[in-house]
Formats: sequence, structure tokens, C-alpha cells
Amino acid sequence: MPETVLPNPDVPDYFSRRAFVLGAIQLGIFGAIGARLYHLQVTEGNRYALLADENRISVEVLAPQRGRILDRDGNVLAANSEGFRAVVVPSIARNLRLVLQRFQRIEPLSFDDIERVVQRARRQSPHIAIVLAQDLSWERLAEINLNAPVLPGVRTEPAGKRQYFFGPAMGHVLGYIGAVERRAMNDKPVLRLPGMRVGRAGVERGLEDELRGKAGSVTTEVDARGRVVRIIDQLDPRPGRDVTLTIDTDLQSRIMGRLDGFRRASTVVIGVRSGDVLAMVSTPGFDPNAVASAADAADWAKLQNAADDPLNNRAVRGLYPPGSTFKMVTALAALDGGKVDTKERLPCDGTFEYYGQRYRCWRRSGHESCDLHKALRESCDCYFYELARRVGIEAMASMARKLGLGVLHNAGITEAKAGLIPDHDWKRGRFGRGWLGGETILAGIGQGYVLATPLQLAVMTARLASGLEITPSLIQRGGADRVLPLAVTAAALAAVRRGMTAVVNEDGGTGARAQGEAGGYLMAGKTGTSQVHSMSRDSVQADIPWPRRDHALFVGYAPVSAPRYALATVVEHGGGGGAVAAPVSRAIMDMVMERDPLRDTTARRALQTGAQPLASPAPTRAGSDG
Amino acid sequence: MTSLFYRSRPPQTLAGKLLRIYWLLPILAVVIAAVGVAALYSTAGGRFEPWAAKHAMRAALGVTLMLGVGLMPLRFWMRIANPFYLLVLAMLVAVPLIGQSQLGARRWLGVGEASLQPAELMKIALVVALAHYYQWLPRDKVSHPLWLLTPLAMIAAPAALVLKQPDLGTAILIVATGLTLLFLAGVRPFYFISGAIASGGFGHLVWPHLKDYQRRRLLTFLDPDSDPLGAGYHIAQSKIALGSGGVHGRGFLGGTQSQLNFLPEKHTDFIFTMFAEETGFVGALGLIALYAVLICALLVIANRARTPFARLVAAGVAAMFALHVSVNIGMVTGLVPVVGVPLPLISYGGTSMLTLMFGLGMVLSASAHRDDRISIGKTRAFW
Repeated sequence: MPETVLPNPDVPDYFSRRAFVLGAIQLGIFGAIGARLYHLQVTEGNRYALLADENRISVEVLAPQRGRILDRDGNVLAANSEGFRAVVVPSIARNLRLVLQRFQRIEPLSFDDIERVVQRARRQSPHIAIVLAQDLSWERLAEINLNAPVLPGVRTEPAGKRQYFFGPAMGHVLGYIGAVERRAMNDKPVLRLPGMRVGRAGVERGLEDELRGKAGSVTTEVDARGRVVRIIDQLDPRPGRDVTLTIDTDLQSRIMGRLDGFRRASTVVIGVRSGDVLAMVSTPGFDPNAVASAADAADWAKLQNAADDPLNNRAVRGLYPPGSTFKMVTALAALDGGKVDTKERLPCDGTFEYYGQRYRCWRRSGHESCDLHKALRESCDCYFYELARRVGIEAMASMARKLGLGVLHNAGITEAKAGLIPDHDWKRGRFGRGWLGGETILAGIGQGYVLATPLQLAVMTARLASGLEITPSLIQRGGADRVLPLAVTAAALAAVRRGMTAVVNEDGGTGARAQGEAGGYLMAGKTGTSQVHSMSRDSVQADIPWPRRDHALFVGYAPVSAPRYALATVVEHGGGGGAVAAPVSRAIMDMVMERDPLRDTTARRALQTGAQPLASPAPTRAGSDG
Repeated sequence: MTSLFYRSRPPQTLAGKLLRIYWLLPILAVVIAAVGVAALYSTAGGRFEPWAAKHAMRAALGVTLMLGVGLMPLRFWMRIANPFYLLVLAMLVAVPLIGQSQLGARRWLGVGEASLQPAELMKIALVVALAHYYQWLPRDKVSHPLWLLTPLAMIAAPAALVLKQPDLGTAILIVATGLTLLFLAGVRPFYFISGAIASGGFGHLVWPHLKDYQRRRLLTFLDPDSDPLGAGYHIAQSKIALGSGGVHGRGFLGGTQSQLNFLPEKHTDFIFTMFAEETGFVGALGLIALYAVLICALLVIANRARTPFARLVAAGVAAMFALHVSVNIGMVTGLVPVVGVPLPLISYGGTSMLTLMFGLGMVLSASAHRDDRISIGKTRAFW
């Protein structure tokens, strides 16, 4: 074999040419890059240096202190505890994991915590602090500050934790605060602050704007190490306003204790002329402190999936067919529209026929015949079927709205529900079909599509009692708003009030169990038993499985002579309104009246005018009504 | 000619081989890697942890590997070209099945404690395999359409796999490196020109008819890391950092912008920004000059080599370096869109370092054994 050392004998010469072309192209590209760098660094260098300096000025948002929540007597319901937390700023920490490792020797961090911090640091601007640990003890706080030199980027800052003082009794009213929802984060810079909490339920949510206050900011110049060189501008945050509620904490707690025996129940007590909500109770309750400290998803899920849904505020979110408590609406609509007068007697043989359909009265033997007074007292269904037929759904719906049903009341809790008062438009919009006459008949006794919350029922009762178009509120209102009188004739109102008084105080009244043993004042009211399942009518309630039992309702006001308080009570699947809801409501009203500043004078006046309490022995079996 | 492999001279001693090493290459590699160590040291805020120390260790390992590879006869590398390519291809197939995902993309293959990015390895495997192909293919068939199909498939298969990971930057580099090799191997320019026109025309026809969200989806598919807002922010910050470096730079460890973490990925894709902020225009140009010298050296070796394999390997590695440097610096200076391409030997990353050192080693081998005659099989009688 010959040795070939000839210059490239066996490779085509175009290679060199093409390699040269590529080399030239490469040179051109490098030239372009060089030119670009010259442009950036030499020509525009000063401009970018200026921009870079702006990068060194950091604006930090300062969180405002959240306002407190007080009750009507000035007792603190929710406040911020003194506390400190540790945060880390990744841009100063540089080696975040190393800092976390060191930090761990002072305050233990779980593996999840570390991952959470590292992930967050990756996702967001490195200048935003990330919370490392909450509720630092004084020793830990001192230790962290002592070790600051080896913990770059770690700092401690005051971080009030929200504290709720009356536990489950106030849980639903106050609500709770929680992390900001992701989609809300873009609204305001303050919402992006680490550990920022906003109201997520109850008054905390309803009055978020007042409670939150205004964020401040501090503009600082940082050096190359991210340390603050000087403070350029500081705008202190404006703390949130304290909010005073209308709630009477002591009353609220006592009602809570009274309702605790029921699985699910709720009561709203309201001032009939002011609309102030004195108590709003829903059982089962929950401790807002537990929610606030529900750090992880598992705790939270446990609360959410707990039996009987304790997080649900039934007083404003529970939707119930009002049943017979709706009969005042039907009566007023008929009286106001001139479709009936107080004297007319309508027959009741236990059934009412309408276009071949039979509607039954709750008392199968019937009531012979009723005028308005007796019909209300004994809750005769037939009478109100006929009234409903005469009045029609539109007039009934309009009267219901006048009384505050089917209307969303902004009492300070935004998650409240509006209930449902059906009419022609609603039916067409919802089902695309026209309204049926039979649906009017059912609506006349508060069944069918009609739904109301306990708060709405309390508002209805207060408006009936006062004749004023009051609006409910959990928040103390400064000046007395002008409250318009209810646009219903006084005579019609008076007739209905007399009927409601009879329900409790006359023989045969379905609410006799609300007479109370203590006496001292007269109460008026109306019972309601709303059907959950159609078979319940014919059965003994105790024999029916719990979820199919009727809801027991009672609405009432007191004192009769000069009404000051109205209430509405719903015991879910409690059975009969007269048997279950009426006695509880009386007990609650007793608590209210006990605290009433005018109580003594009222009792005296009542005695003076001769309107003695009707002291009749509690009937052995109070009629359960329709 | 019956002889398959035969040397131009008797077996060399190790000392003799070392003498024939083209020492400029390892020296340049060490210098560039040292710049990388310094940059990573500064990036970590003046600490060897977590990057600089490891980078230095990898560079040392890499240079050793490079010399080792360089001392092996070139025909050995030619013989394993195809198996190597197929192995890396198989690894690429395996990545989506058993790979580890990082930041939403599956790119890593675990090997015991270490993990490997097959996509990086593919860059060099493709160069070697294509060089091997054109060593084997008779000269007159190079531009024949039928004989063009195989190399195109060899480029397309790994590119598609890498694109699916998804890693747009590496896919682009693989295609660009492959096409460069085809050009150097003598494929007629007609193909390149018509190919460019065809793809450009297709894009032009289709793009305007796409809805905004479709374009965005397409772009996101191609590069999930690209967040229109985020990328824009990063480029703006990168330009500010670069520009504020000025002529002389802010000095070692003095880069406020990079140090303050306005930059993302500053230890990998954006390390040039950090370097240029601290060393200024002078330092940046100096680094580019280092790369230019390295690329020139590689091209010189390519030109001096005697066999198509040696030439194409050397020129291919040169193309790899050139493309990496151009795309990376073009990206951080805002000339080209952000696609994840590392700066060779400087960006932190083990597989990339390994691949480049391996490539340089093969060029060393081509240089040291440039007088060796190599051939493939009996059917080939190239000379």
C-alpha cells in the first residue's frame, strides 16, 4: 500500500468552498451580534443603565390592619391577635434551599412547606416575600432575628391572626377570612401580598371593603445585594374600620344553646321598627377559629363535608317552603284587593276542588266554615285555597314582595339567598310553560314553588307587626333611615294581626304552645308545617325517616300591644310547626323580652289596659297545622 | 484496493500521539469553560455552590473525555457511528415513556444517580451518523433525491421526538446542524433554496389564516415555556441588564440586574446576559472572539482532513458551536425569539458539556489521525 500524504487527494474540492461560505455566514452572524451588543451596551448603554437603576427601586405594599367586629354592646367579636410570622424574600436569599435548611434548625418546616416555598419562588417575582411560618413564639422570633446574618432574605414581621371570641355561636354571622382567590388577585396589589386574608363568608365577606382598610406602600432603594439603602417614600396603610353589629351576643349564644337540640334549625330575631337583627342562629354551628386555622386542604374538606353542613348559614341560605306562615300574604292580598272581607265565611269539608283536582285541608274532617279570623287561627287550608283562587298568583306575588319575600336583603351577608316567589314571568322563563291555576292554589298555602329563607320570614313578620317597610341589617346604621309605611290598608293589617294573636292565644289556635308558661307579655304568630314529602300528610311524623319529615316553622312577634321584636324559626324536618317550632320560638322570645329595656313598662301597661295574658293550660296535643 | 483499514505509519506511541494532538482545541475549551465557572460563581452571588464547583468538575471531566476520545483512532468512532445514533434515538423514544419531567417537559433520562438529556446527545450522534453516511455514499449519488431520503429521515426522526418533549430549541438545532452537514457533504444548493422557498411559502400561506388563539396555541405547542408576557418581560430585563453593563461592565460580581434576580434561568440560557453585564461590551466581544477562534480552528481541521468522515465531523462540530452561540446570544439580545438553547461550555448543564466535549474530542481524533486511511466495507473504493 502506498502512503498517501497528498493534499486532499480523495475529497472533492467543493467542500472547502462550501465550508468557506458557511464560515463567512457565521462571521456575518457574529458581526451582527457584535453590532447588536455595541448598540445595546455602547450606544444605548446610558439609557439602559438608567432603566437598571429604576430596577433598583423597589416598591413594597404594606398590608393594612383589618378592622374589628363588635356587637351592639361594644363587645369585641373578632379582632387581630398580636403575632409574628417569618417570611423570606427569594431575591435576597439567593440560595433559597440553603436558607430554608438553616431556617429549619430554628423552626421546623415540613417537606411540603419547603416544596411550597420553592415552588412559589419559582412562579412569582423574586421580590415578593413568601410566608415561612406563622404564629411565631417569642423565643423563635428572637432566635430568627438573632440568626439574621446567616439567614439572608428571612425577616420577621407582625402578622395579626384573626381571632373570633364567641366560637360557634357567632360563626355564621361573622363568617371567616381566608386566602385570596386566584382570580381575584389581579384586582388590587394588596391582594397579592403574602398571607393576605380576605373575608370569605358572613360579615367578614359582606363588609370586606370597610374591614380591609387601605394598603400603604414603602418605596425603597436597594443596593446590589438587595439591602435597603434608604427609604424614599412611605405611605402608611390605613387600617380597616371597626364594624359594630346589631347582634346581641348574649342572646345569640343563649338561642344557640336552645337550638342545639335540633339537628338543623335556624332562627332570626329582628327589631320590628329598626330592622336590626338581634340574633341570627343556624345550627349546627362552626367555630370560625377552626376555619381560619384550617391550614391545609384536608382540614378544610373535613369542615366542608361534615354532617349537616355546618358551614351553611341556614338563616340566610336555607330555602324552605314557608307553608302556612305564607297565609298572611294570601290574606293581605285578598283583603287589600277587596276579594274577601273579614266577615265572609267560606266552607271547609276537608277538601277543596279546583278543575277536578282535589286539594286537602290539613284537618281531614274539615273546619265546617271559616271567616278570616278562624281560618288564620286554625290554619284552614280550604279557606286560603279559595282566597288564592280569587286573588291569583300575580297579586299574591306582589304582596309577598311587599312583605320582603322573594327579595334579596342586604343585611351584611352577601351569600344570602333571594328565595323564590313564583309568578307568570318566572314560570315562563324557568320552564318555558305557562302558569297553571293549580299552582296558584298551592302557592296560596306557601307550598309549590314558593321558597323563603328564615331571614325573609322574619322580615315579613316584622313588616306585618310594624306596618313599616323595614329592611334587615346586621350592621349598626348611623342615622335613622326614613322607613316607608307598608302600602297595605291599615284595616287589613289589623285583621291579620288579630288573627295572628289568636293563633297563639285563643282556644283552637295552632300556635297555643307559644303562649308560654311565664307569661308577662302576649305574643302573636303563625305556625307552618311545610311538606317535604307528599306522604307525610297522612302519617305520624315520628314514624317517618328524618329526611322526609316536614319542616316545622313558626313566625311571631311580641308584644302584641306594642310590637318590638319579630322572629322566624325553622326546624328542618322537625315535624309540626305548632308542636315543635312554636314552643322553641316562645322560649326564644322569652329570652328576647327578658332583655327588653321596656319590658316592665309594657307589662304594666298591658295590665292597666286589662289585656291579661290568657292563662290557659298548654293543650296536651297542640294541633299540627297545614 | 483490498485493504480495509490501514495506517499511514506504524502504530504510534502515546507520547507520539500526544504530540500530534491539536492543542489549541483543549486549551480553548478549558478557557471557555473557565469563563463559565467564573460566570456561575458570580451568578450564585459569589459562591461556588450550587453551580460553579460542579461546572468546574464537569469541565475537568469533559476535557479528560475529550483527550481520551481524541487519542482513539478515528475509524473506531466511525465504526460505532450508526450504533451510537440508534442508541441515542432509542433513548429519545424512551424519554416520554420512562423519563423524568422538569418544568413541565420530559427531557431527562435517569441513569442511576445521574440523569441524561438524550436530546443533547443526539446533536453529536447525528453529526457522526451523517458523516458516516456520506463517507459511505459514492460522491455521484450525494444529490440524488433517493439517496437524500435517508439523511433527511435521520434528521427528521430525532427532531420530531425532541419537538414532542417539547424542546423547540434543541429541535431547531438538530435540524440546522443536520442541514449544514448535508450542505457540506455536497448536496446541490437547489434543494436548499427550493426547500426554503417551499417552507417559507407554506408558512406565509397558512399563518395569516390562523386565528389568534390558534397561533398562540401553535407557539405554545412548539414551546410551552414561552409565555408571551413572561418572555417579553425576560427579554426586556435581559436587554436592560446587558445595556447597563456599558463598555467596561459593572465588574465581576457587580451586576445589579442579574444579581437581583430580574433574570430567569440566569445560570443556564441567560448566563450571557449576566456575563455581559459584569464584563461589558469588551468582555462580551472577547467571549465571542473566543468562540470565533474555536470555530475557525475547527474549520481549519476540517479543511486539512483527508476523509469525508473527518471533514464532516469537524465541520459539524463547528456548526454546532456556531449555531449554539448565535442562537443563544441572539436570544438574550432580543434578536431571535426565546428558545431554550444553552451557551456552549458556559451554561450550567452536564449533558450539554459532555456532548460538546465529546464532539471536540472527535475532532481531535480527526486531526490527530488525519493521515489515516479509513474505509467502509469492501464495496467502497473511494480512493
